[in-house]
Amino acid sequence: MPEVSLIWIEEAGLEGLDPAKAAKKAGVALSDGGLVEAAVVTTTEARAPRSLVNRLKGYPVKWLDLAAEVGGGPLALRQARAAAAVARAAGSAALGTMAQRYTRQPNQEVLVAGRGLAAVAAAHQAAALGHPVLLALETTRARAACADEKPAEVKRALAGLPAQVEVVTGTELVELLGAGGDFQARLQGPRRTSRRRFGAVVLAPPSAYAVPGDMPATAEDITLPVSRLKPKQYQGGEQWLQAAVIAPLGPGATAHGFARAVTAALALQKRPRVQVTLFLGEAKVASEGGERLYRDARRQGVLAMRVEPGGLRVSRDGRKLSFDDPVLGEPVDLRPDLVVLSEEVTGRAPAWLDNPLVTTAWDQDLPDHPRLQAGRTARSGLYLIGGARGAAPGDPRRAQAAAAAADLHGLLSGEAVAVPAVRDVLCASCLTCVRVCPHGVVCYAEDHIAPAPAACLACGVCTAECPAEAIAPPGWSNREMIASLAAGLKAAAGDKLVLFACRNSGMDAARALSLAGHQWPKGLLMVPVNCAGRVGVQLILRALSLGAGGVLVAGCHQGNCRSLNGNLRAKLRSGEAADLLAQVGGRPEQVRFMHLASNQPRALAQAVAELAQTAGEK
Amino acid sequence: MLLNDCDPGFKHQVAAEPGGQGIKACFACAACTARCPVAGHVEGYDPRRLIRLVLLGRREEVLASPLIWLCSTCYSCQEVCPQQVSFTEVLTAIKNIAARAGYGPPATEAVIDQLAAHGRLLEVGEFENQRRTDLGLPEVAEAPAHFQKVLGVEPAGGKS
Amino acid sequence: MAVKTIKTPAVIIGGGVAGLAAAIDLSRRGLSSLVVERGPRLGGRVADFCCKATDSCVRCGACRLADLVRRVAARPEIAIYTSAKPVAAEADGDGWRLTLEPQRNNGPAPVVELAGGPLPRRSQVQAGAVILAVGATPFDPSAKSRFGYRRVPGVVSALELEGALEHSLAELAGGRDPRRVAFIQCVGSRDESLGHLYCSRVCCGFALRMARVIQARRPGTEITFFHMDVQTYGRAWAGELAEMREQMNFVRAMPGEVTAGPGGPQVVYAAGGRSQTAEFDLVVLSQGMRPPVGAAALSQLFACTRTSDGFLGSDAEPVASGAAGVFIAGSARGPMSIVESIEHGAVAAAAAAGHLQPLVREAAHA
Repeated sequence: MPEVSLIWIEEAGLEGLDPAKAAKKAGVALSDGGLVEAAVVTTTEARAPRSLVNRLKGYPVKWLDLAAEVGGGPLALRQARAAAAVARAAGSAALGTMAQRYTRQPNQEVLVAGRGLAAVAAAHQAAALGHPVLLALETTRARAACADEKPAEVKRALAGLPAQVEVVTGTELVELLGAGGDFQARLQGPRRTSRRRFGAVVLAPPSAYAVPGDMPATAEDITLPVSRLKPKQYQGGEQWLQAAVIAPLGPGATAHGFARAVTAALALQKRPRVQVTLFLGEAKVASEGGERLYRDARRQGVLAMRVEPGGLRVSRDGRKLSFDDPVLGEPVDLRPDLVVLSEEVTGRAPAWLDNPLVTTAWDQDLPDHPRLQAGRTARSGLYLIGGARGAAPGDPRRAQAAAAAADLHGLLSGEAVAVPAVRDVLCASCLTCVRVCPHGVVCYAEDHIAPAPAACLACGVCTAECPAEAIAPPGWSNREMIASLAAGLKAAAGDKLVLFACRNSGMDAARALSLAGHQWPKGLLMVPVNCAGRVGVQLILRALSLGAGGVLVAGCHQGNCRSLNGNLRAKLRSGEAADLLAQVGGRPEQVRFMHLASNQPRALAQAVAELAQTAGEK
Repeated sequence: MLLNDCDPGFKHQVAAEPGGQGIKACFACAACTARCPVAGHVEGYDPRRLIRLVLLGRREEVLASPLIWLCSTCYSCQEVCPQQVSFTEVLTAIKNIAARAGYGPPATEAVIDQLAAHGRLLEVGEFENQRRTDLGLPEVAEAPAHFQKVLGVEPAGGKS
Repeated sequence: MAVKTIKTPAVIIGGGVAGLAAAIDLSRRGLSSLVVERGPRLGGRVADFCCKATDSCVRCGACRLADLVRRVAARPEIAIYTSAKPVAAEADGDGWRLTLEPQRNNGPAPVVELAGGPLPRRSQVQAGAVILAVGATPFDPSAKSRFGYRRVPGVVSALELEGALEHSLAELAGGRDPRRVAFIQCVGSRDESLGHLYCSRVCCGFALRMARVIQARRPGTEITFFHMDVQTYGRAWAGELAEMREQMNFVRAMPGEVTAGPGGPQVVYAAGGRSQTAEFDLVVLSQGMRPPVGAAALSQLFACTRTSDGFLGSDAEPVASGAAGVFIAGSARGPMSIVESIEHGAVAAAAAAGHLQPLVREAAHA
């Protein structure tokens, strides 16, 4: 085993601590700057001096955010906490695991498949970021615009594409395997099918305007959708021409759909002797200029008529609308000469995207997931943008394309953490890892488990769930985690407790508390994980058997987990561990799970205090 | 009620009348009604409802309504309106239209007659002029012609 | 003392979520940047927002700040100065030359930042592009005096409620445990009399999320929601809104005034064509967003245009400012949510990178 050196970097939060004492207590040598076999550094790789980072390249190094773990209180307590944290990091550093990155270089080529402005803009942006791009248009160049877009705008964008973008037409993506860094795509062209590999894939499926299903069924000869309305064809005579414009009424109504309805109403109202009644559920004015437009329409004379859900009824002949006036509360009828139905953007992702072997989950299951922005899907490296992602035509689609391109560039240029290592000797090919990986990283190809090279976020869900200890992102195997727990708990003083904290929530909260001088229980050992999903039954029970009187697992809130359901797995496994503990005569309340966000430090402090109290009641 | 039977031109007519410009901007938030002191005392008096009747084009109902004459012109509605409808002014416009259309309430008509005939709400007769003479003040002439012109009524107290 | 000149491809004014997102996106594109934050800490207004998850995440995006700060800290090509402000700017070829002045910040010392530090002295910056990400300013509800803000006890702004949500609401309600809470929407928004002809977009979601937190922590608390129209704040909410309509009292009316009553603030509103009065323990005014306080000065400094609503930028384009090499990011451009601001920051960065690329290419050939 290599000898572990402690490299102490002084920073805020570590004031007054004695590095030599911490090293001694942790059983490591304080580095004098000489030859290093393995090291623990008391800061993160990002904050460490560049020269140190360069010097330590190729050595087993544990970067320890010590200031986040120590906290406030009497010096002796802080000293003891620092020593335990250093010991924990040293425990795995001693195993000599190299902080390896990719074993294979991620493929840099990008496939953009679909049509419309979003597709063209994404291809342009990815090329501008230095990626070779294949833009596979489902259509001809001339018909590349989606039905809800202005053809000229898309044509212009296509003409402006740089030479690094290869454009093929009449080509559809029909099959996709793999994940970020190594996708295998099957493309169906007009004449033949081809297979190609890409580092990232951006889907921009066709979108169109469609009338929502909850619109009243008025007579066909007087009804048309907004997109077919030609206001100049209408004017009243001696009788006013009565037009009904029906804005999206249901709960899914968008500001874009509302603005289009109001625009139509305003154009019609400007015609001579035309009276427009604008039916609406809620005035969705939250688009840019939406309130101004709505005001202009009213000033022009448009009569805004708010109807409650189901409150707009049609006569059997489809020529009379009945509703209650929202102010008078009286029933009102209208026999319109013209009914204009508003539309919403709709786009469907290709059916194969719903296949769990391709995508674990995507936006349709997780709308507005705060960590699936920039067009991301749960499958790392696969993006879905455009109308199918709810973007209105024009600038919103350009913006989505730019965000997706920047995100995939980050992925392919090395923001992802590592490639899970698979020990083929132990692997039983049960495919549990393929099934549970939230990012679609672990694939089964050519008779063995083959993780993609740039997609892994080292959440460790595969490791926690693998029955054979055959797979782990480097640094996160059971062997390493248990070695760290053993060393850390051995060095910890007082009543021992373990906090497994997700880096996206628990550790941020812990860091905020520590830097604000919060005094942690003396024997609390923090174990940062990239996702609470890494913490399985085994780690929890091991922590208890190594002397911890209580274990707390802090994961993100439901619906906020970057690894989709890692938090829920952790909750489930914590419950199982508690049950097992009860069966062998322990107290189940010694194992706890909590949902937490990075900005909820007080909740964490309280939960740790409660855990300490529980552990103290023998 | 059938909306087709209403008069879509009515709101434009009100908006064209001095003071009525703001009426079409109303988005029925009801702040005016909440704040109106008259609404608290008179059953059925509701600024938002009156605006709505105009917007719907229920012309006769509005002009014939006794409610339009009850505004105390406290301007509370105008102060709270987020859309600058200026309901107090709008109501003046409506009242002018109503009066022109012959919908003035009898009391108001009587006041107009009085003004037209005498130039003021109190008649200045022989008795008052005698008193004025005694005090060294000039006599007040009966109903100067320009009053009638301003009020748009026939001279000699006749109905318009 | 000699004035130090910092050369950087891009300078970002404002260290809130939009500015940080822009810096990260630029760095992904291989471009260094300097973030200049007026206050003592990063994060802007989002740093004051707490998590509003009840039984699950409500997708407000406030937790993303920690993530952004961590990523900024991990990228050495992003330099950060806090407590600094641009006081002069002039176009310099294709770029800009700025003078930064240290700002004295009173108040509590900030929690130690992961990255950056205060600007030590007056400095000059030469940058190829400028991104203005100064955020919006919350509307001051006392300008709508009829709602009783700072006059009637128990009337607070939504941001004040936010600040107390993690602590004690009783303090806000004058010591009473608030069991009846009212929200008044659109205070300073959708208001032509103020010249605010826009919807602030985020207040409905903000208020309803806080209302849910209150009900989750103190079951049985009666919530009344005075509003005109409920705005969309994400597709996931369509279903949840129906649920909230069951749990809360949605009143579609703009109140006329808020007065002091014997048992708490009283809201006067119209229902059934008449004026009604309801008493609450706490009345929350959902203040809207205004153009940033320094919008006039900034638009003068950088010769950039303002939108019809007075925010920075131009109506037709999402991030352009009307001045070459100057781009707008986040709610300085108009009301937007946390998540929208983060995405907008990335869009501004993409535009700035487009502006810088010819320069970079030239530099490479020089």
